[in-house]
Amino acid sequence: MSSRRRFLRGMLAGGGLVTLGLPRFAHADCGAFPQRFGVWFWGNGNRPDKWTPTGEGADWSLSEELAPLAAVKDEITVVSGFSIKVPNLIPHYSGACGLLTGQPEDGPEDAWTVFGPSIDQVIAAEVGDATLYRSLEVGITTTTSFSYSGPNANNPAEMNPFALYERLFGDTFREPGEGGLVDPSLGYRRSALDAVMGDLDSLHGELGYSDRIRLEQHLDGVRDLETRLAKLQEDPPELEACSRAEAPEVEYPEIDGRPQIAEVNRAMSRLLAMALACDQTRVFSYTLSNPLSNELWPDADDGHHNLTHHEPDDQPQVDAITTYNMTELAYFLEELRAIPEGDGTLLDSCLVMACSEVSEGRTHSLDEIPLVLAGGACGKIVQGQHVRSYTQENVNRVSLSLIRAMGVNQASWGAGDNEVTDGLGDIEL
Amino acid sequence: MLLLLLACKDAPTDAGPTLTNGPVPEVTPAAPTLRRLTTSQYHNAIVDLLGPDVLLPTSLEPDIQVEGLLSVGAGVASVSSWGVERYESAAISLAEQAVEQGTLTDCDSTACVDDFVADFGRRAWRRPLTEDEVSTLAEVIDWIADDSGDFETSLVYGTAAMLQSPHFLYRKEHGSSDQGGPLSDFELATRLSFFVWNTTPDEELLDAAEAGELSTDAGLEEQARRLMEDERAVDGVRNLFTELYTLYALDDLDKDPLVFTHASADLGPAAREETLLLVENLLLHEGGDFRDLFTSERSYVDRRLASLYRVGAPSEEGHGEVWFERSDGRRGLLGHASVLAQYSHATGSSPTLRGKFLRTTVLCHTIPPPPGDVDTTIPEADNSSPTMRDRIAIHLEDPACASCHSLLDPIGLGLENFDGIGRWRDTENGETIDASGDLDGAAWETPWEMAATVRNHPDLGPCFTTRLYDYAVGRPSGEGEEDLEDWLAVEFEISGYAVPDLMLSTVMSPGFRNAGAFDVE
Repeated sequence: MSSRRRFLRGMLAGGGLVTLGLPRFAHADCGAFPQRFGVWFWGNGNRPDKWTPTGEGADWSLSEELAPLAAVKDEITVVSGFSIKVPNLIPHYSGACGLLTGQPEDGPEDAWTVFGPSIDQVIAAEVGDATLYRSLEVGITTTTSFSYSGPNANNPAEMNPFALYERLFGDTFREPGEGGLVDPSLGYRRSALDAVMGDLDSLHGELGYSDRIRLEQHLDGVRDLETRLAKLQEDPPELEACSRAEAPEVEYPEIDGRPQIAEVNRAMSRLLAMALACDQTRVFSYTLSNPLSNELWPDADDGHHNLTHHEPDDQPQVDAITTYNMTELAYFLEELRAIPEGDGTLLDSCLVMACSEVSEGRTHSLDEIPLVLAGGACGKIVQGQHVRSYTQENVNRVSLSLIRAMGVNQASWGAGDNEVTDGLGDIEL
Repeated sequence: MLLLLLACKDAPTDAGPTLTNGPVPEVTPAAPTLRRLTTSQYHNAIVDLLGPDVLLPTSLEPDIQVEGLLSVGAGVASVSSWGVERYESAAISLAEQAVEQGTLTDCDSTACVDDFVADFGRRAWRRPLTEDEVSTLAEVIDWIADDSGDFETSLVYGTAAMLQSPHFLYRKEHGSSDQGGPLSDFELATRLSFFVWNTTPDEELLDAAEAGELSTDAGLEEQARRLMEDERAVDGVRNLFTELYTLYALDDLDKDPLVFTHASADLGPAAREETLLLVENLLLHEGGDFRDLFTSERSYVDRRLASLYRVGAPSEEGHGEVWFERSDGRRGLLGHASVLAQYSHATGSSPTLRGKFLRTTVLCHTIPPPPGDVDTTIPEADNSSPTMRDRIAIHLEDPACASCHSLLDPIGLGLENFDGIGRWRDTENGETIDASGDLDGAAWETPWEMAATVRNHPDLGPCFTTRLYDYAVGRPSGEGEEDLEDWLAVEFEISGYAVPDLMLSTVMSPGFRNAGAFDVE
C-alpha cells in the first residue's frame, strides 16, 4: 500500500469531518462500489414482548432487546409482526428452512434437507462471480451454517478466526497497488484442476439423477477455485479502504466451559468487514449460533436452548442472551460503518438480514419473527424505520424485496401455498 | 493375532428352540448413491497410500449424518466451494510430504511417468485407469516437469490431481447398468474393504478383483474372511459402532464445568474408548453375543473414568479391564458415560434424550418430533418436585405430550441414577431417586435390571441388522430390501448374535453385491 493511500485513509477514519453533515440517505447508488448482501443469523429467537419497538415508520423507539443497536438506529429497519408460513413439523428447522429458503423442509427429523438454495446463495449465484469468493460462511459457535446451494449442499462455516485470516489475508493476499501474485505453482494447480474437471465430467455420465446434481455442485466449486487462481494473478481491485486485516488470536479457548462468543464475534467481524472492503466477496452467511444451539453463554446457568424451554416465567436469562446477541450484531454493523467508502461507508452498500428461526423459543413460534435489516443496499431499502405487520404477513415478501434489491430478477419466492410474487413496498425505495 | 470365531462358535445357550431360516430372499435394492469418503475413510486411505508419517489435514469438508450414520450421510452430501478448496490444499500438502519422504514412488524422471500414474492411480482410485486417464495425467506431469525444470514438483501436482479427483474422493458402487445389477469386481472390492476395514482395498484385494474372483461366491467369501481376520477389521468394527451410537459426537461434549466438576475436555474421548474397547473385545475378538453389550459387567476404564464410576483404577496408563458389581449399579452400554453423558444436557440429565436414544437408535422405533407450537416448560426443582420424575410428570399428564413422551420418559427415568455425565447418585435434591420403569411391558426397579430388559427386547437384533446393512450399502434401505433384512436378522439370531457372522452374511447377501436402478428426475 502506498503511503499516500495510508494517509488518505487516516484522514477519513480519524477526521470524521469528511462524513459529518452529509445527508443520511444521500447514497441513492453506490457509484463504483459493489453491493453486498449477508445473512446474520442467531438461533433460538428472542423474548417477543421485550423485542418489538414502539412507534412506527420513522418515528419509533428501540425496545429493550434492541437497545444495543442505538448507535446504528438510523441505519437499520426493524421489521416486525411477520410470520414464517410453513408447517412447523420439525421445531427450529422448519422455521429455519421457511425463513431462509422460503419453503418447508424436505424429509423427516433425522434426515431432512432443504428443497432449494438459501437466500444468500440465490444472490451469490447472481453477484458472486465477480469476486475471489462467491460467498463466505462464518460461524461463531458452529461449523455449520444455514447456507445451502441446494438440497444436501450445505456450505459449512469457518469458526476459527485465525484460519479465516490465513485464508483471506495469508500468503496469497495482495493489497491494492501491489499487483497480482506471481507464482508458477498457480499454473500447475490450474492444470491439475483441468484434469479433475475432466474426471468430474466422465463420472457424471455414469450416475443417476441425484448423484449428477451433487457432482455438478462439486464442479461449481472446482470452477470457483480455478477462477480464483486466475484472479490472483490479476491486479487486486483498487479500493482505498482495503488493506491486510490485522491477525486475530490463534486460539480463543473456552472460559469456564463457555466459548468466548463476543471475542470471536469481534475478531470475525473485523475480518469479514475487511474482506468486503477488499471486494473478496459480496455475499456472506454469518452464524452467531445455530437453530437449537445449546451453547453456554457467559453468565448463563444452562445451555441456550434448554433455557428457552425450562427457564420459568419471563425468562430473564433468555432475554439477556438476546440482548447479548444484539450487542454483537451492533459491533459487526459498526465495524462495517467504520470503513469509509467514497463519501459514505461500507455499511451503505451492504444489506444485512439479521434474523432467527423462531420468535419465542419456548413454543417454537413462527409468528413475530425477529428481523432487522441493516445497511441501505445502496439506497434501495429504507433505513431508520420500524415496519410492522398487523396481519401476520408472510415473511417471504420481505425476502423477495431483499433479493430484488440485490439486483436479482426474481419472479417469486417460496413455493406452493407460501409462494409470494410481491415484495414488501414499505421497505423498498 | 486375532481370535475370530466366524461361524464356528459354541451354540448359543439361550436361543430357545432351534431356529431355521429359509433361502435368501429376492432383493430389489434402492437406487445407488455415490459415496463421498468420510473424514476417517479419507485419512485411512491416505495413510495406506502415502505411509504413516504424513501429517493429515485437519480441515476437510465435514461429514454429515443421516439417521445418525455418517456413511449414509456420505451418500447424499455434496462438496461445497470451500470443500473443494480444502481438498485441493490437502492434496497438495500430502503430495509434497510424500515426495519429500520418498514414500510415493521410485520413479525419478519423465521416462517412468506412465507407470507411476498407472500404479498409484490403481491404488488411489481403487481400479485400473483407462489409457486416456493415464495419458491425461502423464501430460500434466510432463508439462510441469518441463516448465519447472524440477521432476519432484511435477510429481507433487500430478499426485495432487489424483487425490482431489472424484475417482478418489467418491466411491461409485453403481454396477454397469442404469437398470441395476451386479456391482463390478472393483466396486465390490471397494465396498467390502471400506465396510470391513474402513479403508481402501489392499493390493491382494485389488488383484482378486482384477482376476474376477469377487464375482464368485467362493472368491468373495475367501476375501471377506481374510479381511475379517486381519488386524484392520478392528478399525472397521470400531468405526461401525462409532457411527451406530454417534460416538463421534463425544469430541464436542458440552458440559458446564461449574455444575459437573468431574467433566473435562477428555471425558468424551475417554468414554468413547471405553465403549469401543468393549465392542472390540466382546464382539470382534471373542465373537460374543451382541446383546451382551447391554449387560456386560466387564468394561474398560482409565483413571478418570474409574474415578467417575468409583471403581478400581487400572494400574497402568490408559484403559484397563474392570468388572462392575451389582452394588455399582451400572452394567453394559447404558451404564457407559459415552451414552449417559452424550444423551444429557450441559447442566443435567435428560430422560427424554436417553429414552429417545434407546427407542430410535437401539430399537429403531419411530418417534415423531414434538409438535411445533406447544409450551415445553418444565418446572424448576423445588420442594414439591425435587426429582426429574416429578418435574417431567407433566409430559405424561398432558395428552398432547403423553402420546410420545410415554414412549420415552419411562425408559429414560430408569437411568436417573446417573447424572448428566454418568456419575452415580442415589438422591436428587435430597429425595431418593425412583429408577423403576418399563419398556413395552417388561418392568424393572434398578438400572441393573433395566439392562437385562433392553438386552432381551425382540427388536434389538433386527434393529442392529438393519442399521448395519444401511451402513454397509451407504443409504437407507428400501422396501425391496425388507425381506432380506428380516432374513439377515434370523441369520444373526441363529449365529447367537455374532457380529462377525452378521457382517459376513451381509457381504454375501444379494443386497450387498447388487445395485438398484438409478434414480431419475
